[in-house]
Amino acid sequence: MRVALFVTCLVDLMRPRIGFAAIELLEAAGCDVIVPAGQTCCGQPVWNSGDRAAAAALAKKVIDEFVGSEYVVVPSGSCADQIRNEYPVILADEPEWRARAVELAGRVYELTDFLVNVAHIKTLPGNFSGSVTYHDSCTGLRGMGIKEQPRALLAKMSGVELKEMAAAEECCGFGGTFSVKFGEISAAIAAKKCGNACATGAQTIVGGDLGCLLNIEGKLRRLGDETTQVRHIAEVLTAKK
Amino acid sequence: MSSREDILGRVRARLGRNTENAATARKDIEAAIDGRVQGPRPAVPTDTAGLVAWFEEKSAAQSSSLDRVATLADAPAAVARYLAGMNLPLRAVIWPSLAGLDWRAAGIEVAPRGAVDSDLVGITGCFCAIAETGTLMACSAPDHPATVSLLPETHIALVPMSRIVPGMEDAWNLARAELGSLPRAVNFISGPSRTGDIEQTIVLGAHGPYRVHLVIVERE
Amino acid sequence: MESRSRHFKANAAASLANPVLQTNLKTAKGKFVDKRAIAIKEIDDFEGSREAAKNIRNRVLENLDLWLEKFEESATARGATVLWAKDGEEICRHVAEIGQRHGVQKAAKSKSMLSEEANLNLALTAAGIRPIETDLGEYILQINDNEPPSHIIAPVVHKSLDEVADLFHQVHKTPRKTEIPALTREAREVLREHFLTADMGISGGNFLVAETGSVALVTNEGNGRMVTTLPRVHVVITGIEKVVPTLEDLTLLLRLLPRSATGQSISNYVSVLTGVKTPEERDGPEHLYFILVDNGRADVVGTEFQDMLRCIRCGACMNHCPVYQTIGGHAYGWVYPGPMGSVLTPLYTGLENAIDLPQAATLCNQCGVVCPVMIPLPELLRRLREKQVEKHLRPWFERFALKIWAKVAASPSLYALGSWLGVRYLKWLAGGRDRIAVLSAAPEWTLGRDFPAPEGKTFRELYRKGKK
Ligand code: SF4
Repeated sequence: MRVALFVTCLVDLMRPRIGFAAIELLEAAGCDVIVPAGQTCCGQPVWNSGDRAAAAALAKKVIDEFVGSEYVVVPSGSCADQIRNEYPVILADEPEWRARAVELAGRVYELTDFLVNVAHIKTLPGNFSGSVTYHDSCTGLRGMGIKEQPRALLAKMSGVELKEMAAAEECCGFGGTFSVKFGEISAAIAAKKCGNACATGAQTIVGGDLGCLLNIEGKLRRLGDETTQVRHIAEVLTAKK
Repeated sequence: MSSREDILGRVRARLGRNTENAATARKDIEAAIDGRVQGPRPAVPTDTAGLVAWFEEKSAAQSSSLDRVATLADAPAAVARYLAGMNLPLRAVIWPSLAGLDWRAAGIEVAPRGAVDSDLVGITGCFCAIAETGTLMACSAPDHPATVSLLPETHIALVPMSRIVPGMEDAWNLARAELGSLPRAVNFISGPSRTGDIEQTIVLGAHGPYRVHLVIVERE
Repeated sequence: MESRSRHFKANAAASLANPVLQTNLKTAKGKFVDKRAIAIKEIDDFEGSREAAKNIRNRVLENLDLWLEKFEESATARGATVLWAKDGEEICRHVAEIGQRHGVQKAAKSKSMLSEEANLNLALTAAGIRPIETDLGEYILQINDNEPPSHIIAPVVHKSLDEVADLFHQVHKTPRKTEIPALTREAREVLREHFLTADMGISGGNFLVAETGSVALVTNEGNGRMVTTLPRVHVVITGIEKVVPTLEDLTLLLRLLPRSATGQSISNYVSVLTGVKTPEERDGPEHLYFILVDNGRADVVGTEFQDMLRCIRCGACMNHCPVYQTIGGHAYGWVYPGPMGSVLTPLYTGLENAIDLPQAATLCNQCGVVCPVMIPLPELLRRLREKQVEKHLRPWFERFALKIWAKVAASPSLYALGSWLGVRYLKWLAGGRDRIAVLSAAPEWTLGRDFPAPEGKTFRELYRKGKK
């Protein structure tokens, strides 16, 4: 299987190791991975901010860059959702582009979904051990149906103990630009998420979207929690003891 | 221009209304009204025993209390027992349509009229009852004043078993068949009045009755 | 009601700083969310029911003009008078005129959000008619100096038992009670008197049935029945979008409304009211008026926001909204809070008067998945944001930042340079720690949390160098 990785701008800037972990996982599942060099951002921030023209330009750029790859895999539910579900909407008025967007939509996957349902990964490269709790990021969950996939992967790791938190499906308060426009509200919502996550006693909070994870980690640290770890699912699945 | 014309005019303009599409739309309206298509419905038993059991279960869930009698003639005694058991006076305002029963023999003093503030107990029948939700359907009429089920603190309703239907759709069909057009007020009543406005804590007895007691009548 | 939506941010800050409110919101959330989750399980085909409900509402909206005429015809045939109001002022004028025509001195009201839109109580008082709110929550607000509601279903969700106890004690001049049933009885006794003496009942309308010309009213307290049974005159005030075709359609919507709102399978009282009383009847109003209100609705028909008119005012979207749960309803500044309010307020009161509302959402879509009529609320909020951008209503620095990002992200070389610089700048800011406590480029972020530091190099740099 030939897979093109869409790294996402946030991983590129903040947590490159998640990108490498994704490559490791895809290779472990038997995929040939390429990383198209010109990629930047999927355009979700501008689209959600109401700038249709900018969003359309970035959508076209991504569509062009990922021509011909058998699959496009994204270590983020919300960026994958942007490509799969929003590009056809953004380009609705340009029939040719819309058709290309729909074609791309058919081969773009969120990482854990791809590993479980397309690549049928058998063995994971990591042997993480510890207790974790999983935060379901909103767009991945409600836009891409990501729920069981990360749990199925975690279940393959004998050293992982999954402790489900209350209200795992509730928003962490990140919301992209919302987090910098309404910082206080955003942080107050994050505090509730941290409370629910920590109440499980898990050592590590795991999720599939870096934006949410940065939000949760930032809130934990501000609250004085120095011990609870916050990790992307790809990091956990590749972690070595 | 009247507000009516102004509002409808803007709606028409926004919908691109013209004589042609108006004709098609009118057909859709007639079709909708004649079709009376029912949406998905929760499964409710249709056999009598199952239906009655379902009604009883759902009524209890609405905080109504229940009793059963064999015939309508047995109802006054059952009502008297209930009132005595609850330490309530054996005096009630009653739907005039029920005045023919022998209340006096059961020791209950009844006033067949609309209710007033001082009435403590109101006794009504019902047009039909709905098993799905444990609901009474009361239709207003000169001998079925709506106040009787509303003003008194205790509402007692006689529910003939044969009038228990599965869902509200069936109640509407019954009303169409038996009444033709809708009466002024159709009131669906599901248990005592309640409020959850203060701290979302449910309290029974808001503006209407504090208790609703249903007497199911097996045979008429 | 005058909109205070412009002050959303300040309002929200006040809400966050109010510990009583925070506790109340938490209690309420638990109850609403859990109860709904249980109640919808009773419907075997819940998703199919939502789909059907959506179709029913769309069917009417697609030909709203003709459905309104149909309703008017059916209602008039049963002796009701149908009036139309373009805005709040006209609602007030109609009600005052009706009051004067029938010599009304006191009006008992069951909950009507439109009367909030119109500020009707003020106008009634000015016209010499005493308005009495009879929904317990609305009554509490009225005696608390006409405080606005903070939720469309639970108007005093922001108040604690203690606050209500104090209020009753002060206003009713009765010994202070601390039990909810005792307070409820006290209100019942005060309001019973008003029900019996009111000349006019004013209600909203949950639905208008075109087939029969009826209004359907849903209440738990029984006040909806009181105000439509006892007074001589009944005035229904509803939006023009409330029409449903048939009693069957009404039935389906009634399966969804209370479950979505309060987690009940049915509200205690559903009244379907048609026409005026016959001479032989002992109760019921002699005069029935419908006031069908536009107040911004007509101009939403046929637009990309038409889906919003499907709303049946259940409140599920706000009950499930992380932002509403955190700041409550008052912060939104107008009649409708939460996600539905963030769409309705700019549409009805002007985009420029509610700049923050469409932005004040994480777009988590929890609202969209619970909405019983499948309104794509996040998508509508996003479209409103698009409108704001089109109309240049966003602040300059935001437009500037977005423009820069769009430019940079469109050009791989610029992006490479920018990200190289940006990441190093952030790393430097962190000064060796794993976090940044004050981020001047995005000051809002660090108001309430730290900003985790980046690793220090970009993925593309590392990948190119072939190192991990
Ligand atoms: S938008 Fe949907 S969920 Fe919100 S109040 Fe309206 S119908 Fe209910």
